[in-house]
Amino acid sequence: MKNVFVLAEHRKQHLRDSTWEAVTAGRTLAKDLGAELTCILLAADTASMAEQLAKECHRVLAVEDPLFETVSSEAFTKALVPLLADKEPYMMVMGNSNAIMDLAPGLSVALDAALATDCFAFEVRDGKPLATRQVYSYKVNALVSFKDAQRIVVTLRGGAFPFVPSGSAAGTVEKVASPISGEKLRKRFLSYREAEKGDVDISTADIIVSLGRGIGDEPDMEMFESLAKAMGGVLACSRPIVDKNLLPKYHQVGTSGVEVKPKVYLALGISGAFQHVGGIKGSPLIMAVNKDARAPIFRVAQYGIVADLNEIVPALEAKIRELKK
Amino acid sequence: MDIIVCMKWVPDTSEADLVIDKEGKDIKKDDLDHDMNDWDRFAIEEAVQLKEKLGGKVTVVGVAPEDAEEMLRECLARGADEAFLLWDDAFEGSDGFAVARILVSFIKARPWDLVLTGTLADDDCGGQMGGMLGAMLGVPSATLVSAISVEDGKITFNRELEGGLYEHMEMDLPAVLSVATGLNEPRFVSIRAVRKVASVEIPTLGLGELGLDESLVGVQGSRVQIEQLTMPPEGEGAEMIGGKPEEAAAKLAEILKEKGGIG
Repeated sequence: MKNVFVLAEHRKQHLRDSTWEAVTAGRTLAKDLGAELTCILLAADTASMAEQLAKECHRVLAVEDPLFETVSSEAFTKALVPLLADKEPYMMVMGNSNAIMDLAPGLSVALDAALATDCFAFEVRDGKPLATRQVYSYKVNALVSFKDAQRIVVTLRGGAFPFVPSGSAAGTVEKVASPISGEKLRKRFLSYREAEKGDVDISTADIIVSLGRGIGDEPDMEMFESLAKAMGGVLACSRPIVDKNLLPKYHQVGTSGVEVKPKVYLALGISGAFQHVGGIKGSPLIMAVNKDARAPIFRVAQYGIVADLNEIVPALEAKIRELKK
Repeated sequence: MDIIVCMKWVPDTSEADLVIDKEGKDIKKDDLDHDMNDWDRFAIEEAVQLKEKLGGKVTVVGVAPEDAEEMLRECLARGADEAFLLWDDAFEGSDGFAVARILVSFIKARPWDLVLTGTLADDDCGGQMGGMLGAMLGVPSATLVSAISVEDGKITFNRELEGGLYEHMEMDLPAVLSVATGLNEPRFVSIRAVRKVASVEIPTLGLGELGLDESLVGVQGSRVQIEQLTMPPEGEGAEMIGGKPEEAAAKLAEILKEKGGIG
């Protein structure tokens, strides 16, 4: 590999954490592959973000265009194809945020590159990179290779490559004219919208009883509400519960929902997909009850019970009421 | 509006005990139930709802062996007008890129305005199909989409970002949208609806019918290959509380009390 590129992700003129995690992964990959590392910044106004990147990365390529105000998959792809022409062999690294999920797959096709999404580890064998990601409900690790690909795009699992700032790179910023200046896009950003706010703010709750897919198709919601009440906590949930209209969206914990930091997080029937776990990192005590002994939630919980919720929950509530007396 | 919905047939791995097979490149699937990918259930529902509003035709398609006919038939019962299975022994071992290629060969051969699919699949957890299809078809695409509405050859929708934030967007048709779960409520399928479509023919199209060369599909046509599957290390993990439900519950309650989990 000749080049490792890190694609910077930003929102509202600020670099996102995913960018710095990509810098971490990019640094190691560049070292292991003997490649040169370059950060690519496509933004409406590059000045301050490019300066921040140059403190951590020796080379920054900055391209300014009003079309880059948001991470627009169409604008980014149209610009990156000519910018990366003749730069292979290369590997391109970026976060696996929701904005990048919109960009990376189409970009990989446009670049004629191999793609692996949501990778959390890399290694190099015989000068070729390999990536580890998860498959089958995030329960199995898969080591994948890219054949003899000369162009590779990878996206990174959030939190897998923690960033430690060095602040000492004193890199150079190369400004390049936008190759898509004045183009009309077929996909246009109109505005930001916020999800409806509710009467409960789970982000400030100390005690959370959280429900996942494992509560079944026709759950006894009163049973769970009653438990939460007995504990003096609030009900929260993972995505499938919102999808089934069992609780409103503002109860959803995870990267797509609300990040919470309660003293105690009791996860009932939650498998523990990384999108959900990403929202409970700040909780000092996670307890989980699940029917599946191999559910990933047991890898992040301190205490676990493998059991049927319909048996555990009423017994737990009775015991709690007894202890409160 | 003519809509093509790409459906995936996946093993139900969410609560099953998974075992890696001898070669170490896949899991044992014989004992696993298979079903429609959860995210795709919302895609077929959205397609049928759009058809009910705007007219047109809904075509469902899946790259899968014969067993998946059951999934496509369920889509017909949910309101799709026609269904196609794309399968050939040569497709075995295709990665996301090769599957996108197979789907594109099907889509290109017919008229359409919109392609819908789910954003993620539970088996490969790749989240790549919609974006790849859009790029191969030369049309715009978006993922994690909800609140879809169509007017004057344009489609508006919300794209989910993190922390309850959405991008409200507008896109020209034709286009590819990968839907978010929860954007609609998939309908209940009655036994009568299932009976009505029991005898509808679901053609299977292979390499020849799709005009594909063997080198473009399967392991050969793939860009990423699995070297080795492993079960993640247990790590420190949770301290497991055993015993009868009452005993386990009592122990849990004690810990909760000690750690401030009873307010």
